[in-house]
Amino acid sequence: MFFRLNDKADVEAGLFFTLFGGLTAGLSLQYQMGTIAAMGPGMFPLILGIMLTAIGLTILAKGVMAGGETIRSLPLKPAFLITLSLLVFAALVLAVGLVAAVPAQVFIALWASDHFTLKRAIALSIGLLLFCYLVFIYFLGVAVPMIAI
Amino acid sequence: MEFLNHLGLGFEAALSLNNLTFCFIGVLVGTAIGILPGLGPLATIAMLLPLTYSLDPVTGLIMISGIYYGAQYGGSTTAILVNLPGESSSVVSCLDGHQMARNGRAGAALAIAAIGSFFAGTIATMLIAAFSPVLAEVAFLFGPVEYFAMMVLGLTAATLLAHGSFIKGVAMVLTGLILGLVGADINSGTYRFTFGYFSLTEGIEFVAVAMGLFAFTDIVTNIRGDQARDVTTPSLRNLWVNGKEAKEAALPVVRGTAIGSVLGLLPGGGAMISSFASYAIEKRLAKRPEEFGHGAIAGLAGPEAANNAGAQTSFIPMLTLGIPSNGVMALMIGALMVHNIAPGPYVMVSNPEVFWGLIASMWIGNAMLVVLNLPLIPLWVRLIQVHYWILYPIILTVCCVGLFSIENSLQPIYFAAGFTLVGCLFWRFRAEAAPLLLGFILGPLMEEHFRRALLLSNGDLAIFYRSPLSIVMLSVAAVMCLVILLPQIRRSRSVAFTENA
Repeated sequence: MFFRLNDKADVEAGLFFTLFGGLTAGLSLQYQMGTIAAMGPGMFPLILGIMLTAIGLTILAKGVMAGGETIRSLPLKPAFLITLSLLVFAALVLAVGLVAAVPAQVFIALWASDHFTLKRAIALSIGLLLFCYLVFIYFLGVAVPMIAI
Repeated sequence: MEFLNHLGLGFEAALSLNNLTFCFIGVLVGTAIGILPGLGPLATIAMLLPLTYSLDPVTGLIMISGIYYGAQYGGSTTAILVNLPGESSSVVSCLDGHQMARNGRAGAALAIAAIGSFFAGTIATMLIAAFSPVLAEVAFLFGPVEYFAMMVLGLTAATLLAHGSFIKGVAMVLTGLILGLVGADINSGTYRFTFGYFSLTEGIEFVAVAMGLFAFTDIVTNIRGDQARDVTTPSLRNLWVNGKEAKEAALPVVRGTAIGSVLGLLPGGGAMISSFASYAIEKRLAKRPEEFGHGAIAGLAGPEAANNAGAQTSFIPMLTLGIPSNGVMALMIGALMVHNIAPGPYVMVSNPEVFWGLIASMWIGNAMLVVLNLPLIPLWVRLIQVHYWILYPIILTVCCVGLFSIENSLQPIYFAAGFTLVGCLFWRFRAEAAPLLLGFILGPLMEEHFRRALLLSNGDLAIFYRSPLSIVMLSVAAVMCLVILLPQIRRSRSVAFTENA
């Protein structure tokens, strides 16, 4: 990816921190700086942003020159599916209720595993729905709807 | 006498039926998650935190801390029985504990671990009760300058002692500090980094950050390694430790307790480092060091006591100074803040029942663990065999409902989803996420003290070098940074870590 340095963890980390620090510093410029004695809302984030940028560049330089640690390859399918399962839960829970949100989440999340079978997903969904009803709604009184429609 | 009065007040609070029940639930859940590999205390506490918001502050804290030290007990059970560390702090217990189990002394190994931990827990609880008020007295003398210096020192030390690259740890602390600043500025009320979203004006929900970076990222990275585990069910016929074994375990337990109690106090210290240090010392002191790794009792008893003592005394800086020394303590501070209790020396005065109740509950919880752990071993053995594919959908759903319940809003779930992706990125380039959480909790406080200090000095930065306490703390932090940046020492540090891991 990055000039064939894509197995170097420090290169990626350095880029990330440099960008995030730079972004913070840049965004904090829109707030009042004030003086050192009476700092405005922008001063402290600006200082942190600059420090982070500097450290990010150091990490980047270290990664480019010395190599350092190699990256771990991220399991993309699980990363995508687990995140998706959270979003789907959020989209369904108030619109349709737990009866849809829980099975949808379980199916999507379990799909990431090598052990996915339809039977297991259904069994887990039913068990979790019972658990949610008993613990969250009955005992703890969380205002989460079982069926929203 | 005052000391006894305080403890009396604490026991009164902790022995109420309600608090006893939640203490029990806490240690039970803690033991269970400690036993399950791939589910750590940080992730679990983040998962259960929203559910404690409806409880009394003291009850909620009792349960959370029960989970924390319960996990230390549970982790060693897995280590001894399956040679898998259930917790990072029980890595060392695998070495000799599992060998003891293979030599047919599984029962004795579990008993030594439990009793050693209980002894350490008792001593550590007394230390907390004795030293917290003293430390709090000192903290009352602190002004903004000293507080700022102490946070710098705390964050530096925590990063230094956490595993992983130091410079990336510093970058993570800074990232956390920045994320902690999102929301309304305390002095001017300006909304910072909210991008026009009203829900961001009170800052990013820290449970969402913790769940995304720990619970969910752990799931993503653990799914692949989901395999059936072989558990050789140990012979539990003789749970009793014989006289010779007891004699061999006694001194290491005492030494382990001492080591753990001291290391637990340090920022970034706590259970894991304590157990490594104790193992190294026992090996050096042993008459027959060649036995280590082949079921030496001292190699199990010392680290077990040390990790429990370290887990307990790491509460002291959190309770007296409001400075978290590790990720779990950062979550505890978050829990206190939800109940409008500002962590720091004032807790002892303003909410003595919270402070002393928590301490008393630790001792009660430890006693419960000994009673709970040994008879329930067959149940725990079954629990080790639970597959990860059953576990993680449960974690996901419980977390989602918990996130929703914080303020009956979907926002935290979306944030947690975002932080999951960020957490995966951190995992990919090997940046440890715990320092970020410490920074996130301390960000607003640090800014406040920094600004106040410079307001008092009328903009003169030299104020940080006028207070002797502040000079000492900042110099120690600077020396730590220098030491770690010298390549020679850095190399030996990485050697020390690979040796241990």
